[in-house]
Amino acid sequence: MTIITDALTYLAYILIFPGFLFCFLSGMLLCGIDRKLVARMQKRVGPPVLQPFYDFFKLLGKETIVPAAANKTVFLMAPLVGLAAQVVLQLFIPVFSFHAFRGVADVIVVLYLLLIPALSVILGAASSGSPYAGVGLSREMVTVLAVELPLVLVLLAVAKTVGNALGTGLCFSLTDIVRCQMENGSLITRLSMIPAAVAMLLIIPGETGSHPFDAAEAETEICEGMLAEYSGAPLAVYKLSHAVKLLTMTTLFTALFLGGIGGGVQQLVSGLAPSLAGGIAIVLEIIILFLLSVVLVAVTVSFTHAVTARLRIEQLFKFYWTVVTGLAAISVVLAWYGL
Amino acid sequence: MFKQLITESMSKSPWLFHINAGSCNGCDIEIVAVLTPRYDAERLGFKLAGSPRQADIVLVTGPVTKQSLPRVLRAISQVPEPRVIVTMGSCPQSGNVFRGSYSVAGPLSKYVDVDVDIAGCAPKPEAVIDGLAKAMGILAEKRAAMYKKDGKKAPAEPVQEVIAEEAPAAQAEVPVEAAQEGGEQ
Repeated sequence: MTIITDALTYLAYILIFPGFLFCFLSGMLLCGIDRKLVARMQKRVGPPVLQPFYDFFKLLGKETIVPAAANKTVFLMAPLVGLAAQVVLQLFIPVFSFHAFRGVADVIVVLYLLLIPALSVILGAASSGSPYAGVGLSREMVTVLAVELPLVLVLLAVAKTVGNALGTGLCFSLTDIVRCQMENGSLITRLSMIPAAVAMLLIIPGETGSHPFDAAEAETEICEGMLAEYSGAPLAVYKLSHAVKLLTMTTLFTALFLGGIGGGVQQLVSGLAPSLAGGIAIVLEIIILFLLSVVLVAVTVSFTHAVTARLRIEQLFKFYWTVVTGLAAISVVLAWYGL
Repeated sequence: MFKQLITESMSKSPWLFHINAGSCNGCDIEIVAVLTPRYDAERLGFKLAGSPRQADIVLVTGPVTKQSLPRVLRAISQVPEPRVIVTMGSCPQSGNVFRGSYSVAGPLSKYVDVDVDIAGCAPKPEAVIDGLAKAMGILAEKRAAMYKKDGKKAPAEPVQEVIAEEAPAAQAEVPVEAAQEGGEQ
């Protein structure tokens, strides 16, 4: 009996709450809010907030063309693999006190899973046989390489700080990172963690490939780069995958630096009856998470999109390996000295 | 219900692919004007697609020169169904001031089924938005026609065949005439 209920619970996790349905709805909504915000910042009316949903369903209704030069299996499977990895990643990131798969995966797994969507786009582009996709994928590889180093340093700084607080040296478990923050306050309130938080904020637009770090998908110079040959349903899956990535990166930021808010929510509901408190806490936490995601997207993706022009690929690489890596390294050093 | 959702979305998210078939750049500038804050076509869901594979509406400007004709037809045939072909300005409709020139192969309607013509030299942004709004409606109609009520896919539209027939013929014309000109000299 418990096996059946367990299986049903996990199925609900995968398909509904932090899984597919939640990712689809909130990722697309985030994407729509981003487009609306950029338009408002440029004094335009902008598309409706539901525009990404229209785009998605329209693309599903279009003809899917597979180029004659493409490897059909890889070309069509790559978007699905990318989306699946993206959703799995979302399952492993805790929503404050709620954690779908507790103790299974830690920060290292998150690091690996973050790479798979980028790799799947690269694979799909490489199999499409288009020279534009070739240029795009070489740029995407450089972008991934550029973003990875500061991201690892940020995670190291967080792991060391939490490890110091818990007395375990390095703490790579996301559950423990969030729990520690719920007890001791958010990491962003520590002075030593502020450079790492800023670095993480700069990593978000690079990881999601938005302006000014979108050299790999430059639609004006290399015909959308890696997506040049994609049409119809596979393109819709890529667009969805990109939308979910926005959600994943902001959720990861919330888990790493703003986990203390979960403690506040727990205090808020502690006066209620225990049977009610759990449910209300989760609903509150989801709403807070989504609002925080909107704010983070507005600051990191929409604002930078509206005020900057696209960087060349070597400028992008230099920026990440000097400024962003430097910021993250400051936090690592401070964390090692126990500040 | 799902099909209805797709058909409705079809008229709300038209992505444009712009082809310059020997245009003087006047119409191309007006396309940019349509995307500026004053007119903002994005509020209707318009987006300039970088690749013809991702487009729904093909916007052709210019009188379709002999050099550009095979490329225009190739680009149009790469746009997935359902697609709508819109000509912008007087040039692709009639040839405009370039009519009768040795290098002009237009009008475009000789080679493909044009759905909407936006007249003007260059058309005002209001006229462009009006024409594109009509194209959005045609896009949804084409999608609905692609799938009949029994859910089976309707036969493909003849646009593809026209391109397949005309494109080699158009390419073949060029060397013949070039040879004639050489002979006269």
